[in-house]
Amino acid sequence: MNQYVREALAVLAANRARTLLTSLGLVIGVMAVIAIQILGAGMAGAVGGVLGSINDRSFTLIPNVRQGDFTRAQIRPNDIARAKERIAGIAEAIPAGGITRLVRAGRRHSRLSLAGESDQRFVTTGLRFGRAFSSEDVATAAHVALLSDDGYRALFEPGTDPVGASLRVGDRRYVVAGVLERPKTGILPNVVRGDVFLPYTTYERDYLRGRTVFGARFLIQPDADMPAVEHATVQYFRTLKKGHVEYQTFDRKSFGAAVDGIFGALTLVVALIGAVSLVVAGIGILNIMLVSVAERTREIGIRKAIGATRGQILAQFFIEALLLSAFGCAVGLFLGVALGGAVNRFAIVAISGVVAPIPWFRSIGIATGFATVVALAFGTYPAYRAASLDPIAALHYE
Amino acid sequence: MSERALVAIDVREVTKTYRMGDIEVHALRGVSFAIEAGEYVAIMGPSGSGKSTLMNLLGCLDRPTTGIYRLDGTDVGTLDDGQLAKIRLRRLGFVFQGFNLLARTSALKNVALPLFYAGLSPRRREQAAAQRLDEVGLGDRAAHRPNELSGGQQQRVAIARALVNDPAVLLADEPTGNLDSQTSEEIMGLFRELNARGRTIVMVSHDAEIARHAKRTIRLRDGLIVADER
Repeated sequence: MNQYVREALAVLAANRARTLLTSLGLVIGVMAVIAIQILGAGMAGAVGGVLGSINDRSFTLIPNVRQGDFTRAQIRPNDIARAKERIAGIAEAIPAGGITRLVRAGRRHSRLSLAGESDQRFVTTGLRFGRAFSSEDVATAAHVALLSDDGYRALFEPGTDPVGASLRVGDRRYVVAGVLERPKTGILPNVVRGDVFLPYTTYERDYLRGRTVFGARFLIQPDADMPAVEHATVQYFRTLKKGHVEYQTFDRKSFGAAVDGIFGALTLVVALIGAVSLVVAGIGILNIMLVSVAERTREIGIRKAIGATRGQILAQFFIEALLLSAFGCAVGLFLGVALGGAVNRFAIVAISGVVAPIPWFRSIGIATGFATVVALAFGTYPAYRAASLDPIAALHYE
Repeated sequence: MSERALVAIDVREVTKTYRMGDIEVHALRGVSFAIEAGEYVAIMGPSGSGKSTLMNLLGCLDRPTTGIYRLDGTDVGTLDDGQLAKIRLRRLGFVFQGFNLLARTSALKNVALPLFYAGLSPRRREQAAAQRLDEVGLGDRAAHRPNELSGGQQQRVAIARALVNDPAVLLADEPTGNLDSQTSEEIMGLFRELNARGRTIVMVSHDAEIARHAKRTIRLRDGLIVADER
């Protein structure tokens, strides 16, 4: 075995340019598949992290995106408050969406998004400093604020405790009540996102007076049935708009299902790319192995005359094909992990803040699988051809 | 040397017929002879006489159409490809006109190759190969590749390779065909030496000068033996 491997390596090393060019197809194929699945894992991790920060007893109501006219879809804050009272099973209802303002703290300032939040936290991210809103904050529409990690970084020296400090927005002042931990909300729409959270009553009074919003967010009561409440809510708002507007809801589960659907499609595309590149690369290896067998016909004749069996010749050429494809797959694995890891790190992690571990086992599994399948499917025939050569004819081949 | 049958080669009424399209070519029309262990035999004949065909049969690269060929006591005609390979490995040593060494491989590795197919460990392969190279006077060229050796040296390496498995018969096909006359004489000297030490040698040649070195000459013409002289 050892000897076969050493001889095959010597042959591959002697034809360096040919070896590299032949394995290029596999390198590119394996690299693409591994990089894409690392990105997929990274994105799945990011989305999972985002979903993890949403309270799974909450859902969001927005106008159905398939209708053309949104002008009548806008919702007034009063309607949201009324829905909370009228629809059974709803514990809390707040306006969705945010608004961007210049926020000052001491001598620092930054343009940040403001959003409403209640004491029954919609966002489940933990607290780094201070406290969450109390029911009194909401009831009295207190001038308090919760900062997200981004907001905190924009306005305060890292490490300082900002609880009790003042935030100024225009001529309004809010006292910092707490700071959330590093968020996992990066790639979600701004229904969930916010740099500065205010009690939603405060938010409505200070920023939504006389205005309407695009959607609303609801928390359901612990014993309520989520789909039933969502259905009732959609019906409620549809009736409110006299059937002129259709609404839809999404929650953590349906959002996750949609994301899973996207990743399922992505996986299928990757599998197709993989299959195509596998066949193309395999034909390249088949071709070069047939050339190799033809070139070495005389050598095969010598080996057979000396007493090599068919099996021994077969093993020699099969191992050569196996090493050739293993080489391509190893390089592809390395480049794929490097590429996927880099894009993951500099794009997905940078945006979402969620670091998904590189799926090494799956990557190595893919590379090994490719090498094995290509060698078996495309290395067997040339090896068989070599093994079947007639020793007399092979010896006299020029 | 391991135990051998007294009759190394026993050929009886052997014929070989090839089909080339619709035409049957009778390369051998019934030849019979026996070669005892320790003999040194030259097979001569003009081209087309069937000597290459006979060489392929004796070398177990091919099977007779009819007749019986026993090598070292084994009936070769009944063996399958795998068994033929084993016979070639264990009981035959080939020396070719064109040396037929592996180009990328050192002299030592070339000589050791049959032992690899026999399944010996690398250490034992190299020991035995080094010893054979010493015997043909090339102990100091073990690391050289074929293209770094002269024709005569390459043929010596090929002879060492043929002997490394301690075969019952050394088969040489025009062993001096690619060599100048002085180098040919050296190779013939080596053959004589090997034969003196008990090695059975069968050599095919069309060159009477070379065949003269053998102790017995079998002449072929048109697929039949026309003379068998000692």
